[in-house]
Amino acid sequence: MYRKNRMGLFFLLPGVIWILAFTIFPLLYSLALSFTDRQLARPTSGQFIGFENYSKVFQGIASSVIDTRSEQGQAFFGAGASAVDVRVGETIPTTIFLTLGSTLLTLLLGTGIAWLFNHDFAGLRIFRSVMTMPLFAAPVALGFMGLILFNEQSGIINTVIKAVTGGQWVPWFSQPWPARTAVLLLDTWQWTPFVFVVVLAAMQSIPTELYEAARLDTRNSWQLFSRITLPLILPALGTIGMLRLVETFKILDIPLSMLGGGPGSATQTYSYYAYQVGLKNFQMGYGSALGYVLVIVCIIISTLYFRRMRSRYDQPKQG
Amino acid sequence: MKKWQLKLSLLLIVVLSITSLASVATAQDTFMGLTAEQLFPGAQTDLERTTAMAALQAAGFPDATGRFAGQTLTVSVQQAGPRGGISGPYYFWREAFQALTGATLDIIEIPQAQYYTTTATDFLTGQNTYDVMNIGGWYMGDYVTNGWIQPIDGYINTEGYPTWEPDQVATPLYELLRWGGQTYAAVNDGDAQLLYFRKDILESPEWQAAYEAEVGSPMPYPINTWQDLLAITTFFNGKDWNADGDPDDGISLHLRSGGQGHFHFVTVAASFAITPAAGDNPRAVSKYDNVFWFDPEDMTALANSPGHVAALDYLVALTATGSPSQVGWELAEAWNNFLQGNAIATFSWGDVGSLAQLPDRSVIQGKLGAGRIPCSTQWYDRETSTMMDDAANPNCVGNVTGGSWMPVMSANTDTAELAYYFMAFHANRNINFWNSTAGWTGVDPSSLYQLFPPRGTASVEDYAQYGFNASDAEQYINAYGENLFSFPITLPYLRIPGTERYWNALDVRLAEVMSGQNQPQPALDQVATEWENVTNDIGRDLQLGVYQAAIGYTPGG
Repeated sequence: MYRKNRMGLFFLLPGVIWILAFTIFPLLYSLALSFTDRQLARPTSGQFIGFENYSKVFQGIASSVIDTRSEQGQAFFGAGASAVDVRVGETIPTTIFLTLGSTLLTLLLGTGIAWLFNHDFAGLRIFRSVMTMPLFAAPVALGFMGLILFNEQSGIINTVIKAVTGGQWVPWFSQPWPARTAVLLLDTWQWTPFVFVVVLAAMQSIPTELYEAARLDTRNSWQLFSRITLPLILPALGTIGMLRLVETFKILDIPLSMLGGGPGSATQTYSYYAYQVGLKNFQMGYGSALGYVLVIVCIIISTLYFRRMRSRYDQPKQG
Repeated sequence: MKKWQLKLSLLLIVVLSITSLASVATAQDTFMGLTAEQLFPGAQTDLERTTAMAALQAAGFPDATGRFAGQTLTVSVQQAGPRGGISGPYYFWREAFQALTGATLDIIEIPQAQYYTTTATDFLTGQNTYDVMNIGGWYMGDYVTNGWIQPIDGYINTEGYPTWEPDQVATPLYELLRWGGQTYAAVNDGDAQLLYFRKDILESPEWQAAYEAEVGSPMPYPINTWQDLLAITTFFNGKDWNADGDPDDGISLHLRSGGQGHFHFVTVAASFAITPAAGDNPRAVSKYDNVFWFDPEDMTALANSPGHVAALDYLVALTATGSPSQVGWELAEAWNNFLQGNAIATFSWGDVGSLAQLPDRSVIQGKLGAGRIPCSTQWYDRETSTMMDDAANPNCVGNVTGGSWMPVMSANTDTAELAYYFMAFHANRNINFWNSTAGWTGVDPSSLYQLFPPRGTASVEDYAQYGFNASDAEQYINAYGENLFSFPITLPYLRIPGTERYWNALDVRLAEVMSGQNQPQPALDQVATEWENVTNDIGRDLQLGVYQAAIGYTPGG
């Protein structure tokens, strides 16, 4: 028995080494870095500075609601108001817009399409396969594709809009909100199939007897959906919603490749800025702190979700 | 001598003559045993192939196959492909270089936006992938102070290497090849922004009359000041002056974040924010004169000076006389808009002059006008804290704005001699001249042999043989020469450590202003604040010393 366990441990070793080397070590190393002023290519950097980087991140986030140049800002941030990294704060509205917008849109569209595909019709399998194709595209490639699709002069989207509106077009790349919307649409386009696949599986696992029984009382499709389908796919939707929130919160590839974070900083997300700080400016200490705050937010979201799910399923049985 | 012997001798002479003529002819058609087709598989026209072959043969490169055979040289360059700007020439001449050296040339393309990050990471992690890196001039501060590259003075014009002429490089551009009294880069590209316009339209009596009728004063042509340019682009914007049925643009600029759009601002702001020194030497650097980026005494950021703000106000007004899409345009899109005949003017690098000659890119060959970058009738005098306004004596400041993309040698290369051979190959007069005549190469004039007299030694015919329209060549090359030599002062080039970070802050805020998210004053205030933070991050004392040396400021001097 012991020999068997030893052999089992031996087989586990590669996995353990992998996790230690590529997950645990970077995690701990970047945690340590986040308490220093380490900058690559600056040999004198690397001093321990306590929570200074985290303070800078949170001050930056606070600057999204308190203008550092206002009287209130001067009072809140004190003498260091001018040193507040307002670029962090500027990413917050964009990040929230994309995170909530994309999550909601993908959930709505994915569920809607799954509902359609939950019916029998000819060619269902082919359509289902085609629907999942965007999932296999690399987000960076999607960004470059967006450059072509949303091109203000020659893009297909503006060409259609011009044809429909008689010459009006949308400044996808040159105005902040259209640019953010373009990113949102591309991200939604890529991730809707993911929601679709999971929700469709959830729908197909619902026993048909339930629908048959319900149809004795009503043939109204909306009532069938809202009273039977939706409650039963809700756990799946919750899981997908949580995954999408975490995933979209990290969005970087599409704004980077399509718009370079612009116009101005309009499509710079929190992750984009963390990348900018850590991997372009080489401020490894500060970049690590930015990354850790992102990790903490993601952990909070998933913890809240799982706690809620647990409380839902762990309720004591009645009677 | 018997008759048959005489006949035989004559026959031998004839045969020998024919053989030698044939061998000479063959030699002219091949280089190191390779034909033009083999040497230049990327050439798209016979003109390209034949002129490139002639340039190669005229260069007199030493055969180095014995020294470098079997070695591999790895060169990094901005990603633009085998026919793209800056990377293109490395591909174009690759077979010739390999034939001369027997070495293998590996070209690694890196996207412009990732270039610094990728190459710096390579050094910092000790991978040392690249033997030669093609860098923008602003990288020099980081590359030299970190010890990533090595000087090449010991190699220049020594036997066994291609020759090139540092003394031929225009002084402001030559300075960019050097750091701390040593040469780190070989000449390749020479960047400076100049003004391009539609000569055919602006010189048309009908349009001049229309301008006067609408504006009430004669068209300010030739364009001497930014204010002249704005008046002209305002008039032409929205009019169908190219008669294609659609309203056309006044100006064409590229202003996309991360797309080098901030260079437009820098070029404009120079004449709004820099003052020459009083006295005999207008280029003398003091606390107030010939400074643009930082106060040379304490590194206080000057980005939000009234001169800079006035320049940004101006740029906003100028941008409004062109397509609203300029904010999202990359460099090529702005060029194409002008080259396709949809904009009356642009100010940009030398590429526009040579691209205008390519039929597949341009419809304006023979219609091109060019001039040195305009002066400003308004500028800020920091010493007296007054905004000056003098239309009769505008403030004129030249520039070498841009990357002037140049090859530098890694400090850790184990093929240093081969690396220098490569750098000198591309810096050679014949190759460099050829590159600067082909619009797609992205290589702009840098040296006296590319300029017309009295500043240089080239002629219109030199350009015409490469397909240039004579009038365009005259306009373009004369403007380039004027840009480099006719200004009393030049915008100081920012190339201190962390330049990428300073420029990123500027780039983002400028794009915010251009897209209507911010106003010039608060945006530039933010830039100044962010620059202060960058300076503090890197170390104010370190930066101050490097900055003073870079602009030639002597403390207490």
